[in-house]
Amino acid sequence: MTAPLPPFRVLRPQAIEAAVAAGAAPGGARYLAGGTDLLVNLRRGLLAPAVLIDLGGIAEFADIRCTDQRTRIGSGVTLARLATDPAVGARHPALRAAAVAVAAPGHRNLATIGGNLCADTRCIYYNQSEWWRRANGICLKSGGEICHVAPEGKRCHAAFSGDLAPALIALDAVAEIAGPGGRRRIACADLYAEDGRAHLQLGGADLITAIELPAEPVRSGYLKERVRQAFDFPLAGVAVALATETGRLSMLRVAITGTNSRPFLVENTAALLGRAVDEELLGQLDKLVQKQVRPMRTTLTPAGYRRIVAAALARRLLASLGASAAASVA
Amino acid sequence: MHNAPPGRRRPTPAAGVPLIDGIDKVTGRARYTADLEHRGALVGRILRSPVGHGEILRLDVTRARRLEGVVAVVTGEDCRHTYGVLPVAMNEYPLARGKVRYRGEPVAAVAAIDAETAARALALIELEVRELPAHYDTASARAPGAVLLHEDRPGNIERAVHHVFGDPAAGFATADLVREACIDCAEVNHAQIEPHAALAEYDPQTARLTMQSVSQVTFYLHLMLARCLQMEESRIRVIKPFVGGGFGARVEALNFEIVTAMLARAAEGRVLMELTREETFITHRARPQTSVRIKLGLTRDGRLTACECEVVQRGGAYAGYGIITILYAGALLHGLYDIPAVKYDGYRVYTNLPPCGAMRGHGSVDTRHAFEVLLDRMARELGLDPFAVRRRNLLVAPTRTLNELAVNSYGLADCLDRVEEASGWRGRRGHLPRGKGLGMACSHYVSGAAKPIHWTGEPHAVVNLKLDWDGSVTALTGAADIGQGSSTMVAIAVAETLGVPIERIRVVAGDSATTPKDNGAYSSRITFMVGNAAIDAARRLKKLLIAAAAHKLGEDPENLDCLGGLFGSTRATQTTLSFADAAKAALVNEGTLTVKGTFTCPPEAQGGKHKGGAVGSTMGFSYGAQVVEVSVDEATGRIVVERVWIALDCGFAINPLAVRGQIEGSVWMGMGQALMEETRYLDGMPAHASLLEYHVPTSVDSPPIEAYIVESIDPNGPFGAKETSEGALAGFAPALIAAVADALDVDLDQLPATPDRVMDALVARRRRQRLQHQPAGDAK
Ligand SMILES: Cc1cc2nc3c(=O)[nH]c(=O)nc-3n(C[C@H](O)[C@H](O)[C@H](O)COP(=O)(O)OP(=O)(O)OC[C@H]3O[C@@H](n4cnc5c(N)ncnc54)[C@H](O)[C@@H]3O)c2cc1C
Ligand code: SF4
Repeated sequence: MTAPLPPFRVLRPQAIEAAVAAGAAPGGARYLAGGTDLLVNLRRGLLAPAVLIDLGGIAEFADIRCTDQRTRIGSGVTLARLATDPAVGARHPALRAAAVAVAAPGHRNLATIGGNLCADTRCIYYNQSEWWRRANGICLKSGGEICHVAPEGKRCHAAFSGDLAPALIALDAVAEIAGPGGRRRIACADLYAEDGRAHLQLGGADLITAIELPAEPVRSGYLKERVRQAFDFPLAGVAVALATETGRLSMLRVAITGTNSRPFLVENTAALLGRAVDEELLGQLDKLVQKQVRPMRTTLTPAGYRRIVAAALARRLLASLGASAAASVA
Repeated sequence: MHNAPPGRRRPTPAAGVPLIDGIDKVTGRARYTADLEHRGALVGRILRSPVGHGEILRLDVTRARRLEGVVAVVTGEDCRHTYGVLPVAMNEYPLARGKVRYRGEPVAAVAAIDAETAARALALIELEVRELPAHYDTASARAPGAVLLHEDRPGNIERAVHHVFGDPAAGFATADLVREACIDCAEVNHAQIEPHAALAEYDPQTARLTMQSVSQVTFYLHLMLARCLQMEESRIRVIKPFVGGGFGARVEALNFEIVTAMLARAAEGRVLMELTREETFITHRARPQTSVRIKLGLTRDGRLTACECEVVQRGGAYAGYGIITILYAGALLHGLYDIPAVKYDGYRVYTNLPPCGAMRGHGSVDTRHAFEVLLDRMARELGLDPFAVRRRNLLVAPTRTLNELAVNSYGLADCLDRVEEASGWRGRRGHLPRGKGLGMACSHYVSGAAKPIHWTGEPHAVVNLKLDWDGSVTALTGAADIGQGSSTMVAIAVAETLGVPIERIRVVAGDSATTPKDNGAYSSRITFMVGNAAIDAARRLKKLLIAAAAHKLGEDPENLDCLGGLFGSTRATQTTLSFADAAKAALVNEGTLTVKGTFTCPPEAQGGKHKGGAVGSTMGFSYGAQVVEVSVDEATGRIVVERVWIALDCGFAINPLAVRGQIEGSVWMGMGQALMEETRYLDGMPAHASLLEYHVPTSVDSPPIEAYIVESIDPNGPFGAKETSEGALAGFAPALIAAVADALDVDLDQLPATPDRVMDALVARRRRQRLQHQPAGDAK
């Protein structure tokens, strides 16, 4: 059997305001979307909220709307739908590729874009049973005093391992938030902080209602490395979006997941603009990535590999997107 | 002669038949242990040691006992008897006594009215342990001054084996090339899909225990329940429900089974114990981490001259099957090729980790891997084709190996031909683009241990057949069908021998109250032994039916046979008698008929006289050859298996459909071990203990497998059949490593070949090449 779930109440609000109000109620509440991240964590005793707020009753969360300016995706849209929606696929290939790369078909039928963005960070010392964590010594992220990954430090290095975030960051997406203080918009890149214990820049009652992506066409793609080809979180995942003018890069955004406590946009890529995609340029991107990723011993696969492979994936994506750009120029 | 294959006269379709319990499984009708009716049963839970090695100073269960809803609590105090599968090495208690020796070892258990209460009760148990230094790897366990896990095992060596056959020194002296390799294979786990579970019921009125469990070996479980609970065997009944995979995970009585029975007796009622996936992994009993140092001698034209092999196995904290595993690892260096001299040194080491045990390909897989990998490297160095090297060293059956193993049938040459041709080896090898490669390897496995573990003088297998007034034939067998299809095999063996359609046969299996004792599903013994016993029983029954039919038809029994369910003369078309009528005739004056068939391995098949010589001995070896095609991504280190061609000599395919399934399953499991499966302990904590972290391949990772059946018709096998479920496994990993070497010229010394290890090897190769290309002066 699996360990019993801790007791909780389930609410099923029909409107965003009601959900946020419930989320702000004292006593500890959690939003429940597909549950594919949350329920596993509940069973392992990683958290024990008194109330689960099931978002499945909010109709507009399941909408995808495409206009000339933007694509608007409700936060409850499933990954299975993202993977098959023709408009999403045509406009935002990186997003589709990322959605298809998540877990396995059964998960994708339930899992949502909102849940994927807000999924917890992961660590081999943390994603274990209660018996395991107690026997091994409770770590910082579970409320203990020590980090088993970097015992000399005082921060948690658990890795953000969602596949969609880098695609959305590379595609310059914006998240719409409803919270106790009203509505606001945050660039997806700004949703996160480099802290495995508190990686989300959101309050507990903040609810992602939708994601908006600019509609103007860019070339984009997502690649992920993992031990097996389904049912596996990214050891490293890289999204690249770019545009070219007469064969030279006019825009480049590279975002990475799986290596740090947050998904992040690779910095200092401006130096690569205005140039053709060639070996030298690829080598420079490789260096930039290797310098900026910070994989730690949070996975059973060695951290050094995650660094190298993140760079290799970035290089490969840029090469193939750059090549197809060149081909379309010619 | 009963061994003759039935050939075209077979009443079952040539392609084979679906498993007789297949529909129950795919429709969800099949009941596995956790699905059994358990209303009113108490929930059992186990408290496990948080430390890797220590003395139990205090274990106080009073508060747990007092908790409302708790019906029973048991500890090591409640069982002073060890258990274990080998009579010479029973050193484990179902609940720890005195010491704990691995993280996760059962210490106490509760039975409560529900799961929440049981969980709360566990939290109330007070356990105080004085920690001892723990040894999580073999080097530390063998180091001077290491703390002993078991006082009677100096150096933490559970068993050292030293075997020399022939003259290795002389052999190496005649070789043109002598090479050595050190190969490390990670520990793997069966990862059977059904987690462990047991349902035990104790009736205080009759003082009887009924145990239903996931066992592959109900007989051994029965024995250990009687021993640990100090009950008379006759008061215990063991039933095997549907079992969701075994692969060796359940070939010995397991601690949770005995604990469940202890709880049921203490509670005087029914207890259901369902282990979590994590606990199922901790129960373990699988293939140990193994370091192999192997040395081979080869002549310029590929003839093997000698083999020297040292194996160190990280056995975990208790004996289990360990002695057998370390003996198998050496014994099965023999029996595949003709090798003039073999030296083997094996060390089974105690460590503070969950005990290892038997797993598909028991004992043979990691040494076979190292052997084949080194052979492939040496063939490359000599510029020889790997197929040619194998062909140069074939055995000729019948023969006996240096270590006295009988080889009565040998289809390896045919296997080689089949996969060489099917894979297009000759045209393609060496002509594939960079990053793509082909590799091949061979393997073999026993068809049942010729000498069973508990030698009692009984036959190796017994099958009963009941024929009743309704014309139905019920085959009663203790053989545990765990998904491999053994019940279907029994049905076919009986049907073919009787000459009736399979639908007439009903198989009742795995219930000690009704079925004859069977040693269980291990060492691929069932088809060979139980199959022969089933044929024997059917022949006896047929004799009775023919006598009755002859009487009724006024024919000479010599001239009668049963074909397609009709008794008639073999000489001319005469009147016939239906099977049902023949059955009625046979019952006159007799009533319901019960006949018994048996099978016994003759003593000369039971191995050499040297110590441990019985291990590896068998009536027949299966033989396999396979070719693996890979693509390797140089930037990420990822290996993609594109295709596999496998030919297996299973003697004779009694049910070709099931044989293919077993061959594919073995290849697939070999692929898991080769590419990604690996247990990982962090300071003795099982970090891999979920199906997320323990990577078994998914359908996306699985290549097309082309399986070819080779039939060498074994002189002693049932219809000529041998085993078919394990022999193909060990060849996969070395074929894969050879294919990677072919693709990129890298030598991988570690299993599994995960992307990070491939990258490390690629980096090492680049460094090597840089050094080679530097002018000599610069190298310093
Ligand atoms: C075996 C397995 C493999 C997996 N593999 C992958 C993988 O390869 N890649 C990957 O990315 N993920 C993987 N996952 C994790 C998970 O399936 C996905 O991240 C999924 O997208 C989570 O979405 P959900 O709707 O199920 O989220 P939930 O589990 O419902 O929620 C996750 C978190 O987000 C919060 N939340 C949900 N919706 C909102 C919202 N609208 N606003 C604010 N907070 C919200 C919840 O409160 C919770 O904290 C895997 C999970 C499993 C069990
Ligand atoms: S990184 Fe450290 S603190 Fe964070 S989960 Fe892992 S062990 Fe715990």
